[in-house]
Amino acid sequence: MVQETLAATHAVVTLDVALPDIFWGWFVTMNMWAKSIGTGLVFMLFLLLRKNSDEMSGVRTSAITVSFIMMNVFLLFTLADLHQPFRMWHIFFYPHWTSAITVGAWMATVFVALESIMMVMMIRKEKCLLTSNANASFDKLLFWVTLLAIPVTLYTAGIMAEATARELWQMPTESVQMILAATLSGSAAILLLGGSKLSDETKNFFASILGLSALLAFIIYMSEYIFGAMKSEETAAILAYIKGDGAYATMFWIGEWVAYILPMILIALYRVSRSNSILTLAAILAIAGLWIVKHVWLVIPQLLSLS
Amino acid sequence: MQLGFLVDLHLCMGCKGCEIACKVENEVPLSTWRLRVKYVDVGTFPETKRTFTPLRCNHCENAPCERICPVSALHYIENGIVNIDKERCIGCAGCVMACPYGAIYIDPETQTADKCTYCAHRIASSMMPACVVACPVGANIFGDLEDPTSNISKYIQRHTDVQVRKPEKGTNPHHFYVGASQVHLNPLASKREEGYDLFNKLTHLPLGGHH
Repeated sequence: MVQETLAATHAVVTLDVALPDIFWGWFVTMNMWAKSIGTGLVFMLFLLLRKNSDEMSGVRTSAITVSFIMMNVFLLFTLADLHQPFRMWHIFFYPHWTSAITVGAWMATVFVALESIMMVMMIRKEKCLLTSNANASFDKLLFWVTLLAIPVTLYTAGIMAEATARELWQMPTESVQMILAATLSGSAAILLLGGSKLSDETKNFFASILGLSALLAFIIYMSEYIFGAMKSEETAAILAYIKGDGAYATMFWIGEWVAYILPMILIALYRVSRSNSILTLAAILAIAGLWIVKHVWLVIPQLLSLS
Repeated sequence: MQLGFLVDLHLCMGCKGCEIACKVENEVPLSTWRLRVKYVDVGTFPETKRTFTPLRCNHCENAPCERICPVSALHYIENGIVNIDKERCIGCAGCVMACPYGAIYIDPETQTADKCTYCAHRIASSMMPACVVACPVGANIFGDLEDPTSNISKYIQRHTDVQVRKPEKGTNPHHFYVGASQVHLNPLASKREEGYDLFNKLTHLPLGGHH
């Protein structure tokens, strides 16, 4: 470990340009957070369709509307984060297909286009312009949108993996974390949207998804926290920012508690008490905490000097 | 032809002539650098010494910046240089995140990515890069890595301590160092402490980032 030589060398950087460190800040956090909710709601709608399609009528319009809004929030922040936002069209006219950014932009665009069609279906149904076939068409389209939601959820992990400079972000763990973020926030969102329209059995089902997603995501973060430093010196240096009195240690633990630990406890309590208030609180905490967790994991690798 | 760079750190005296020449040649804006010389002080008084390391784009054979660029603004040219088309760049900063060497920055004037191009425009006119011309001790050696008779190839043949930065990243850099220690090449081998900078209160032009 080269850091062990510091005690002998007392090597101190006395002149180097302080390149601005955090290039992907909270706009990118918003991007990831909103996309998790957007695709997560689609996953949950599909699960509801397969499990108990009778209850789809209560959440079909509201869930697809919120998903559509969150996907547009995601696109808006993606665009706003560019230093040359008016050149966004270059991605479509000069695409470079080795880039996960390009692949993701195309897939997300198709995804939002399909969601727009689903939105139109629901709006026309509300205005009685279409027959009940609208629901059947919606459900058929939902299958393909759900399939597309998988790569749309995962591509951000691809971008992080292609960021060779940031050792902390590895594709296997990030892709699982992206899926878990979607199932966590999607189940939380559909519980909030469904409310009394969902049966106890369905609520219990989504509560289980929420709790299990929180548990698995927490296990992965703790695995990285404890074992990540054992394989790579660079990862150890990055994780130091969330350990001890590190710059982001408090924020990291607030995120872990709010996004994962408290929702897990509350879901356990819900299963005993069947209190809807407890379930609602768990859902709100999971969605809010996810933002914090994502932000910390996004920022800490950028704090490490590359030179 | 595969162009490459080699810096003999035995010769470099940290005069920053290369840095200034690069700034002038490429009109690099204030607070940004295509090429910079890092100083690291080693030892404790009175047994101290200062190391100098010129840092620039490594023009990797397997360049992460080229791979992640969504619009091919970063692209290879035939001589192996990783060039940048600033008119095409959308400013996503993917390349900034991908480059393991911190060699890419966002130009505060154009709001696009920028980096060392080995002075591709000068090479196209059969001239040496500006930093090579400016170096008073010939520490910068530039040439064709595929030509065994080029200066850089001969230098690599003669020296046994040729190194690259962060070989574990698998980027295959076309930028080499002779006479380097961990302190020169590995950012984890030195500390960055408040109050030790020779220049204090460095200011930056606004980038429009979202911290």
